[in-house]
Amino acid sequence: MPLLEIEDVVAGYSTGPDILTGVTLSIEEGTSYCIVGPNGAGKSTLLRTIAGFLTPRSGEVRLNGATVNSSRPDQMLAAGVCFVPQDASLFPTMTVKENLVMGGYLLNDRSLLRQKLDMVYATFPALAERKAQNAGTLSGGEQQMVTLGRALMVEPKVVMIDEPSLGLAPMIADQIFEKIRGFRELGITVVLVEQNAVKGLNAVEWGFVLDLGSLEFEGPADGILGDPRIRELYLGKQLTQREG
Amino acid sequence: MQWLQILVLGLLLGGIYAMMASGLTLLFGVMRVVNLAHAAFILVASYITYALFESLALDPMISLVITMPLMFSLGVVLYLLLFPRLEDSPRYVEMTVLLTFGLALIVEGMLTFTFTGIFRSVRPDYASSAVRIGEIFMPTSQLYAASISFALLIGLGLVLRFTKTGTAIRATMQNRSAAQIVGVNVRRVSALAFGIGMALAGAAGSLLSFMFPFFPARHWQWIALLLALIVLGGMGSIKGAVIGALLLAVASSFVSNTFGPTWSPITFYLTLFLILLIRPQGLFGAKVRL
Repeated sequence: MPLLEIEDVVAGYSTGPDILTGVTLSIEEGTSYCIVGPNGAGKSTLLRTIAGFLTPRSGEVRLNGATVNSSRPDQMLAAGVCFVPQDASLFPTMTVKENLVMGGYLLNDRSLLRQKLDMVYATFPALAERKAQNAGTLSGGEQQMVTLGRALMVEPKVVMIDEPSLGLAPMIADQIFEKIRGFRELGITVVLVEQNAVKGLNAVEWGFVLDLGSLEFEGPADGILGDPRIRELYLGKQLTQREG
Repeated sequence: MQWLQILVLGLLLGGIYAMMASGLTLLFGVMRVVNLAHAAFILVASYITYALFESLALDPMISLVITMPLMFSLGVVLYLLLFPRLEDSPRYVEMTVLLTFGLALIVEGMLTFTFTGIFRSVRPDYASSAVRIGEIFMPTSQLYAASISFALLIGLGLVLRFTKTGTAIRATMQNRSAAQIVGVNVRRVSALAFGIGMALAGAAGSLLSFMFPFFPARHWQWIALLLALIVLGGMGSIKGAVIGALLLAVASSFVSNTFGPTWSPITFYLTLFLILLIRPQGLFGAKVRL
């Protein structure tokens, strides 16, 4: 049974139009995924819907076979679905350490919390160096590291990361993708949304192509990257330009 | 030594203002709602205290034990009834301003209907006595009220600093969406914040009842003053609200002493005007975009 099943999901914001017009896809445990597609395709909306920030207007989101359509974000997180939004959502006047501890808000065991904290510092040595610094004073790349580290605090089954490279210099973005690849070794299922399709797809095993609110194509990540037809249709100019 | 006398009186008054303002600013910090009915609910507690004093001769300070939990519950119920449905509205700020303005009108109307519009006051023995320490005189009522206010503020500070719920509230105040990401149930936190804000309003109402005479429309004066305090301190900053309250209360005491009591209210509005001109985010506020 897949970890997450999205079946014919329609969703949108408040009273606005449908952004997702019927998405069906499934996420297997232990695999890593990247969702690509043009601007406005509904990539972020899909992640927000799965994470419980949006309730589907119709269709079903299932986690381990159980319908979770009306679950709140905190309930989804407790169930192991962690969402990392694109605007490094940190607590700016708390230190790096306090931010990470907040990531473990759902943990009630202090020794477990400390253990997780050590684990995050081991994965992100740069954060250990800056643990007493206010998160608001960090660089963009460091802030992204904090949000990724914070996601690890609750031992999630799946981490959904929205545009991790947004606004970062290419070299910094590469470091971030390197860390995200490392999540797989920790046994975490990764679902990426990425504007930079080449970098995103290179970091994962399986790709989804989303367009106009529904799934247009899916397949092995290298297959999508190598398929000139898909590149032309969905990744198109943006991709060729970025490749130079 | 006259300046010391004025300073002490200002600080005593500032203590009550601080508690009134901290409830209001807490609510703004957590929910981005300016509760224009805050002072109206303070008056509700004043009238409850009045009714308890008149019927059972209950000491107004003891009636805190009743008004605080009562107002807390009322706050949680009102929140759950009225606010979640507005959450997704693209006009959230406008809607909540109208909603709380409407609440204030409803409360005022109900108070006028029940208690009429005439001035009321609660007069326990200590309402007309004073304590003298050295050269300084302190009205007993203000001394008591300020002590209780400071004690409650310290209690609030400890809860926010050291409890899990307090941490959740502070996190939500800093970044609502980040709090949601790490698993804080922001709706529960908002309901609690509304409850705590209202409990503080309840305490303030009971304490004000024996300090100043009141009538149902009095809350408009109070809310204007409170808004000045929290804008000075920085909306959403409890530390700012406390410091703003103490500063302005002391300043208005000096103004009142120098130019006469008629001029005392202008201290608040002039400060409001100046702070919006010079430093709109207030002393301790973060720049927020609504």
